Amino acid sequence: MHSQCFSKLLILAALLVGGCSISKWTVKPHQRELLADRIMQLDSDPQERAAEEHVLANREGAIGGTGTSGGGCGCN
Amino acid sequence: MRLQLSRSRLIAGLVLAIAAASARPARATNTAEAAVRTTMFDEPSSKNTGVRVYHPQVDVSATVASTLAIAAGYSADVVTGATPATFDAVSAATKFSDTRHLGHVSAGFDRADGGIAFSFAYGTESDYRSTVFSATTHHDLYEHNFTLALAYSHNWDRVCDADNTAAAGQVLYLVALPSSAGCFTNTPGIVTQKLNIDTLEPSLSWTMTPRLVIQGGATIQILDGFQANPYRKVLVGSQGHTPQEHLPNFRQRYALFFRLAYAFPELRASALAMLRGYEDSWAVRAITADVTGTKYIGQFLLVSGRAHWHEQGGASFYRDAEGYRILGPAGQYWTGDRELSPMGNYLFGGKIAFFRRPQQERSSWFVEMELGGKYEFLLYRPQSEFAPNADRKFAHIVQGAFAMRF
Repeated sequence: MHSQCFSKLLILAALLVGGCSISKWTVKPHQRELLADRIMQLDSDPQERAAEEHVLANREGAIGGTGTSGGGCGCN
Repeated sequence: MRLQLSRSRLIAGLVLAIAAASARPARATNTAEAAVRTTMFDEPSSKNTGVRVYHPQVDVSATVASTLAIAAGYSADVVTGATPATFDAVSAATKFSDTRHLGHVSAGFDRADGGIAFSFAYGTESDYRSTVFSATTHHDLYEHNFTLALAYSHNWDRVCDADNTAAAGQVLYLVALPSSAGCFTNTPGIVTQKLNIDTLEPSLSWTMTPRLVIQGGATIQILDGFQANPYRKVLVGSQGHTPQEHLPNFRQRYALFFRLAYAFPELRASALAMLRGYEDSWAVRAITADVTGTKYIGQFLLVSGRAHWHEQGGASFYRDAEGYRILGPAGQYWTGDRELSPMGNYLFGGKIAFFRRPQQERSSWFVEMELGGKYEFLLYRPQSEFAPNADRKFAHIVQGAFAMRF
């Protein structure tokens, strides 16, 4: 039983770390035209985001959820 | 100033945002940007003049040699208004005005598959001072399809307070600060309290398809120090005690969030969404959802609509004004803070932005010019007529922005 679980974990890990297997699901650079657009950026304008947080941080008891920097930019 | 705790959280958030922006890969076509923005927040009251805040922002940023991103900025809050009457022991609201100044600088280093940025900010107002350092790093994995990011900030904040050594630990006899006169000047009867805040925000983004990006993450914040509003008095018990608001010195806050961006190329539009669950050691639980739809109209116009929903439970020691008056405090703490009460709100709004992009073949001294305006309506849903700020049912948010990219 233990060896079966270990084998499954090993296969899963191999799939995850194997660049070839992952590449089936990766988005290629030439497919990133839409993703590079400003309207697809999760944090496109830090100044606007700071102003939004300024309003809501004073009026809601919760924090977080604004993310740090997101993927999706085709800049590279 | 009556809003200082939120200020500290705001400054931490702002610094994380600026640092994150510095750590983001720079667009090859943009090497510098200057942006100005002014937001007016107007919260009318059915009992007094309400609150109005003007929030101007100026930011400049530049990328040097494609790898070094530097940024600096300044923002202010010009606040005028009146304290809500319900929780203050005084029957008539008191007028106040204050100005906060905040400056920040950041520097980031970018590589092809990652980056790191550091930011420093200093904020000052008549009764609150905040020094914030933050660091943000991100790393792209699997052909830029995954981005692992981590942001950390630390606040060294100082809060002006009344000297309550005479109360000798009898919390019912805590006195409130009457005004900010004498703060930070060693004036007898006034002391400076410390507040340290650590915020950590890891996140993982995944570019799932050519149309879809998702992001999951967590926010962890630990506050240690004076967190009450030093001016606020709360009427507790039938004997007429009106002590200063009294909150625990330690608070742990946790949030899990999920965000996505989805493209609709046939409509030249996108949808951004966020869902957040939140809990803290004061037993506040909240759920928040935010959706924004954005669409190009022609070559030069961008319009967007936004809806935001927030629902939360109250802190374990929260009671409304009638509860505190009739039943007394729930333990040794009491508050008149809307953020600690069970409440909800809705926000609806729209934004329009105009872009001017000179053609490549023409000689031009800028790459892009942006002029934008935004209006949002914020509707509060307090649990009872005796809840904090129940006299303020809604707010208007109006914003204008102008940016040049070189």
